[in-house]
Amino acid sequence: MLFDRSLIAACATAAIALALGACAQKDPYQAASAGLADGVLLPAYTQWTETDRRLAASARAFCAGNESLADARRVLRDAQLAWSGLQPMLVGPLGEGNRAWQVQFWPDKKNLVGRQVGNLLKANPDLTSADVEEGSVVVQGLTAYEYVLHDKTVDLSDAQVRARYCPLLIAIGDHQQKLSADILGQWEGDDGMASQLRTFPNARYADPNEAIADLLRVQVTALDALKKKLGTPLGRLSKGHPQPYQAEAWRSGASLPMIGAALAGAEALWQGGKESGLRSLVDDAHADLANRIDQAYASVRQTADSFDEPLAELVGTEEGRTRLAELYEQLDTLHRLHQNDLAQALGVQIGFNAHDGD
Amino acid sequence: MLRTPSWATASLLAVAISLAGCGEDKEQNTAEAPAPQAQAPAVQSATPAEPAPVAVSEEAASKVVNHYADLALAVFSDAHAAGVKLQEAVNAFLANPNDETLTAARQAWLAARVPYMQTEVFRFGNPVVDEWEGQLNAWPLDEGLIDYVAGDYQHGLGNPGATANIVANEQIQVGEDTIDVTEITGEKLASLNELAGSEANVATGYHAIEFLLWGQDLNGTGPGAGERPATDYVEGEGCTGGNCDRRRAYLKAVTDLLVDDLKVMVAEWQPNQDGNYRATLLAEPAENGLRKMLFGMGSLSLGELAGERMKVALEANSTEDEHDCFSDNTHNSHFYNAKGIRNVYLGQYQRIDGTTLEGPSLSSLVQAQNPEVDADLRADLETTEAKMQALVESADNGKAFDQLIAADNQEGQELVRAAIAALVEQTAAIEQAAGALGIDNLNPDTADHQF
Repeated sequence: MLFDRSLIAACATAAIALALGACAQKDPYQAASAGLADGVLLPAYTQWTETDRRLAASARAFCAGNESLADARRVLRDAQLAWSGLQPMLVGPLGEGNRAWQVQFWPDKKNLVGRQVGNLLKANPDLTSADVEEGSVVVQGLTAYEYVLHDKTVDLSDAQVRARYCPLLIAIGDHQQKLSADILGQWEGDDGMASQLRTFPNARYADPNEAIADLLRVQVTALDALKKKLGTPLGRLSKGHPQPYQAEAWRSGASLPMIGAALAGAEALWQGGKESGLRSLVDDAHADLANRIDQAYASVRQTADSFDEPLAELVGTEEGRTRLAELYEQLDTLHRLHQNDLAQALGVQIGFNAHDGD
Repeated sequence: MLRTPSWATASLLAVAISLAGCGEDKEQNTAEAPAPQAQAPAVQSATPAEPAPVAVSEEAASKVVNHYADLALAVFSDAHAAGVKLQEAVNAFLANPNDETLTAARQAWLAARVPYMQTEVFRFGNPVVDEWEGQLNAWPLDEGLIDYVAGDYQHGLGNPGATANIVANEQIQVGEDTIDVTEITGEKLASLNELAGSEANVATGYHAIEFLLWGQDLNGTGPGAGERPATDYVEGEGCTGGNCDRRRAYLKAVTDLLVDDLKVMVAEWQPNQDGNYRATLLAEPAENGLRKMLFGMGSLSLGELAGERMKVALEANSTEDEHDCFSDNTHNSHFYNAKGIRNVYLGQYQRIDGTTLEGPSLSSLVQAQNPEVDADLRADLETTEAKMQALVESADNGKAFDQLIAADNQEGQELVRAAIAALVEQTAAIEQAAGALGIDNLNPDTADHQF
């Protein structure tokens, strides 16, 4: 019964894609889903896990006095960028429960990170990993790690300060390493997430169309989030008043590089790795759409990579705001192309996402 | 678990099969999809044999949208009536500030929240409500803008108005600007909302009144709400907290403004009024109305209630992000938010006088298209209400929402998590219902945290 249905789905998709051709051809939706799993998603999750392994090691090395602050900050940056690259790929285990929030808490409207890190260390002078594991998501992730390495109130050149914050750094590094290894484990393996993107039906998807729909949905959600991540500090939601402290990763000045990394991830999903990506599913009748999306990626990524100054500085000048507004418009164009045109071309209902509402 | 909407796939299939045909599988097209209640999730979402939705008649849809407007009128009218009661109680409190009159004013505020929270499902999708509501229900706020706060008060980084304290100052300093607030009027207060662009600068609305009646809840995740003394409003000798005359003026002005604002929204939903919002809504194709109804339900359900109002507070163990944080009324606010979603789907609303308004519903439209989808959504709405009721009962038994979200309260967190899960589940069912009616493009808006 189950198998029969998937067969229908496969045939139906093929029928449309091949303009009423034979049903015997390989389903392009399945090819794209499997190709993305092996060529894009799995490598990205592996890369993220690797950066978190290095983060955990870096925390220990820095705290033992064997690594400079500059090096520790570089390792953090790698972890931030790997995490950002995953944003358009949050299908499956990392998108469920509160796991993504354990990696990063944003937006932080009321400086919860500053408050909660302070309270945590006050309540636990001899902080253990367990205290962080049982704590709130705010103290478990990259935002708190960044706070320790970059906040101007934390002077790590002072040995006492370093001794106070180091247990937290180490605990966060360990937590991230454990979390990412756990997620990667759920991707790999016989019944893992990658497998669920390769063969159908399975416990998650009845057919490849559902898998592609899921991939497109998280991609659209991520593009929507990028507008928010740029628009909030730019003051688009606050009568034009810039809000630099509402930016993602403002303390480390990583906001714009993180947007760039997320765009690279989104484009990888679109173009595909060695195999076909979402682009391969756009039929000839929509060739123009595919070209427009190619161009939208090219221009938005060029703009995103063109900034030398941090976002928080750019929002402080008229010229900076003008350039950022251009980036915003390009993000908006890209988002709309996916949410409306591409969704329609692929027959996907986008439905509600977490950004609906306030 | 996952219930990916399958209607798009389903209708594609129907088309493809009727055009191309796939041999012996063809009869699957007409086979009725069974109700796979307890089976694997993949089975549940695998309903490719559903027929493409038959178009809903314009007439039937119009009746549903019209009743939706009647429902809005009733619930906004109740919110206004309860606001007038609050105004009376505040006036009585100010005339004679003591514990008894303060308690009565607080009770009136709590009662006013019951209908208001049921209006919020009208907010998303109806711009007239969404653009209006900020002045009434903006949250969370940096309350130091309004009045005195405790020493460990935390506010948004870079908010220049966070400690302006309007009650204590005739001139407030906001960044480089000095603003004159000698006269405390509703208009003046409204102009201070989102001062300097910070959305935490909330000078008006229910939560400003809540802060003025309760004060800060300094108990963190422990039991107890705000404990502002009635003497904060005593004229002359006996005044506590300083500047009682200005605090009195503030409470009076902000309450009057709330009532005026509510009245404005009632007028927008009155029938047969040229140029009001209801007239505009009913002049549109009924499909637009249905889309707005579904969009309001889904947006409140997922992004706003499950996400912003519950999950942020839960996962960050943050009482700063609790909805009714001064009064510890959060459980009721959530309950009635969810109730509002159910009201719109069922076309039912129990008014504050106890009578029930009923009429043509989305549910009946969906049932005619696909009884299974309708039954699913109705069951999900009922489950959500039960999970919300559990939060209410917990609060009634002495464990309010802010205690449930404590980092070390696993049991409490589970209660909140279960309510969130029910909202997520019901949102998927709302998408299915939209699919059954042939409504695509559920026009997403924007919210803050990713789910």
